[in-house]
Amino acid sequence: MSVQLVCGGITFEAAPVELRERIAFLPAQLPVALPAIKTTLGLGEAVLVSTCNRVEYFGATAEPEQAVKSWPLFLRQFHELERQFEIPSFHLEGRDCVSHLYEVASGLKSMVVGETEVLGQLKNAYQTAQQHGATGKWLNRLFQSSFAAAKEVRTRTGITRGNVSVASVAVGLAEKIFGQLEQCRILIIGAGDTSEKTLRALQNCGAQCVIMANRTYDRAADLAGKFGGRAVSWDDWEKEAVAVDIIISSTSAPHYMLTLDKVRALLRQRSGKPLFLIDLAVPRDFEPAINQLDDVYLYDLDDLQSIAQTHLHERQTAIVQSQELLKPHITRFCSWAEREHEALRLASLGANRFSA
Amino acid sequence: MGDRAWLIAATFGYLISSAWGAYALGASRPIATRWNNVLIFVSFLCHSMFLHQRGQATGHCPIGNLFETVAFFSWSLALTYLVIGSTFRMSILGAFTAPLVFLLNFFALVAPVDVPHPLLHMAWQTELHASLTVLGFGMLGIAALAGVMYLMQERQLKRRALTHWFYDLPAMGRLEIVHRRVLIWAFFLFSIGLLAGFFVPQTRAGDEIKIAWSAAVWILYACLLLAPRFIPLSHKKVAWASVAGYVFVLLTFWGVNSLSNSHRFNSGLSTAADYSTGPQK
Repeated sequence: MSVQLVCGGITFEAAPVELRERIAFLPAQLPVALPAIKTTLGLGEAVLVSTCNRVEYFGATAEPEQAVKSWPLFLRQFHELERQFEIPSFHLEGRDCVSHLYEVASGLKSMVVGETEVLGQLKNAYQTAQQHGATGKWLNRLFQSSFAAAKEVRTRTGITRGNVSVASVAVGLAEKIFGQLEQCRILIIGAGDTSEKTLRALQNCGAQCVIMANRTYDRAADLAGKFGGRAVSWDDWEKEAVAVDIIISSTSAPHYMLTLDKVRALLRQRSGKPLFLIDLAVPRDFEPAINQLDDVYLYDLDDLQSIAQTHLHERQTAIVQSQELLKPHITRFCSWAEREHEALRLASLGANRFSA
Repeated sequence: MGDRAWLIAATFGYLISSAWGAYALGASRPIATRWNNVLIFVSFLCHSMFLHQRGQATGHCPIGNLFETVAFFSWSLALTYLVIGSTFRMSILGAFTAPLVFLLNFFALVAPVDVPHPLLHMAWQTELHASLTVLGFGMLGIAALAGVMYLMQERQLKRRALTHWFYDLPAMGRLEIVHRRVLIWAFFLFSIGLLAGFFVPQTRAGDEIKIAWSAAVWILYACLLLAPRFIPLSHKKVAWASVAGYVFVLLTFWGVNSLSNSHRFNSGLSTAADYSTGPQK
C-alpha cells in the first residue's frame, strides 16, 4: 500500500477554548506524545502542532482510516479525558492535507488572518518532531516546502501587512514615526485596559522609559511597578510631557486634558522632536485641532480602530491572491510525491521479481 | 566601445531599475531584490567607465561641457545612493534615485549638449572645485529624495490616510537621521568645493551672478543644518526646504552657469576660461 499524507485535529473554528485547553500539548509533553501518536494512529512519520488556536497532527501512513479512527482515542488516552468528551475533529488526506498545511503556514487559516506567529509555531513543532526522529522524507519535504511557500505569500501579498488591533496599530505607527522605540519615553495619563495593552505592546517592541500619572497616585505607583516605570503626581504630568515622545491618555475627564495652546507651549520647549499622542479616552482627552501642529501626530480610538479594520479587510481580500500563489507550490509537491510513489512501486516490483 | 556607449548602457540599466521600482512600489512588492541591486551596481560601473574613458580622452575630470557635467552629476547621485543605501540598509532609496539618474542621463544623451571642447589643461584647483561641488550637489539630491520620502509619510500620517506606500517606505525616524547625515556630508563637500573655487587662478569678470547664486545655495543649506540647533524647527520644514532648495538648484544651475563667463556650457568652449588658467599641453 502506498504512503498517504494525512492530517487532522481541532481548531478554533469548531472547538471553543474550554475544549482546546484540555487537549493542548505543552512543549515538554511532545517528546512523549510523538511516539505515542505514531503507535496509536499507525503513522510512519508524525508532527504534532499545538497552539492556542489549534491542535493538529500531520502524518505519513499506509492506513489513513486507522489515523482517523484513532485520533480521538489518542487524545482521550494521553489527556485522560472522559469517554463522553466530544472532540470535533477534521481529517484530510493527500492533496487536501498538503493544501491545508500550506494555508496554515501562510496564516490563511488563523483566527487573525495573516498573523505570522503560526509559522514560528509550525517550525518549532516540526523541529521538535525532527529532533525526536519522528519525521522522514515525506514530512521533511512537506514542512520545508510549506515554509518556503509561506515566505513567498508573505513577501508577495498584503496578507501580513498592517496591524489588526488597536494596541498593535499604535505600536506600528510609533515605530514608523520614531524608527526605533528603545530610546522613546512614554507618558501614560490615566489607567485603562487599552492603554495598558498599548503600553505592553510598546514595551514588547523595545520601549523602556515609562512615566505614569493618575489622579490616584497609588494606582499610578502600582502600574509603574508592574511595567517597570516611574509614577508622578497628577499635578506634574504636564511638566513631564515636555521630554516624552509618546503620550497615551485614557482618563475619564469630561474636558480636554491637552489643548492646542498647551501643546504649542510644549513644542516650544521640545526642539523639533516629534510627539505621538494616543487618545484612548471617551470623551476624548486631546483637542483634535492639535493634529494641525507640525511634528505632532494625534490618533484617537476611532482612528486606530479604523486602521485596524482596514488592515483586517485588506488581509481578507488577500486570501484569494495567496491561495493562487500557493497552487503551484502545492502542485509541485504533489508531483514530487507522485514520482516518489512511482519510484517506490517500481522498486517494489523489481524486488518481487528478484525474489521470485 | 566608445564612451557614449557605456553611458547608454548605464542609462538603459537605470531605466530598467526605474521601471521595476515603479512596478514594485505600485504592486507593493519588495524593491530591494538582489537582481535590482546588482543591476544598479552594474549600471554604475558602466557609468564610471564612461567617465573614465571621457576623462582619459580629455585629460581631466570630465566636466568640460554640459553633457559631461550632467553625467558626472548623475554619477555622483548613483554613488551616494550606493553608499547610503548599503550603509543605512535603505535600498528603497534606489527606487527614487534610479529614475532621477535615468532622466538626467537621458537628457544628456538626447540634448545637443555634448559639444566638442579643446583639449586643454585644467588647473588642479579648477578640477577640485568643479568635481567636489558637483559631487556635493549629487549628495544633496539624495538628501532631497530622503526628504521626499519623509514628506510623503508625514502627509499620510497627518491625514490618517495610510496607503501601502506608508508601510513600504523606511520609518520617518530613520529617514530623518539619514537626511540630516547626508545633508552634513553634502554640505561639507560642497563647502570644500566652493572654497577650492577661491584658489582657481584668474577668475574672470562676469562671475558675480554665479558667485552670488553659489553663496545663496550655501547659505540655504547652512541654515538648514544650523537652524534646528537654535530654533524649534520641525523636520517637516527642514525636509521641505531641502526639497525646494534642490529643485531650485536643478532649475537654475544651467541658467546661472550661462550667465557666467567661466562656467558657461553652451559655447563649446564652456570652461575655456578655467582651462586657460593652467599650462597648455
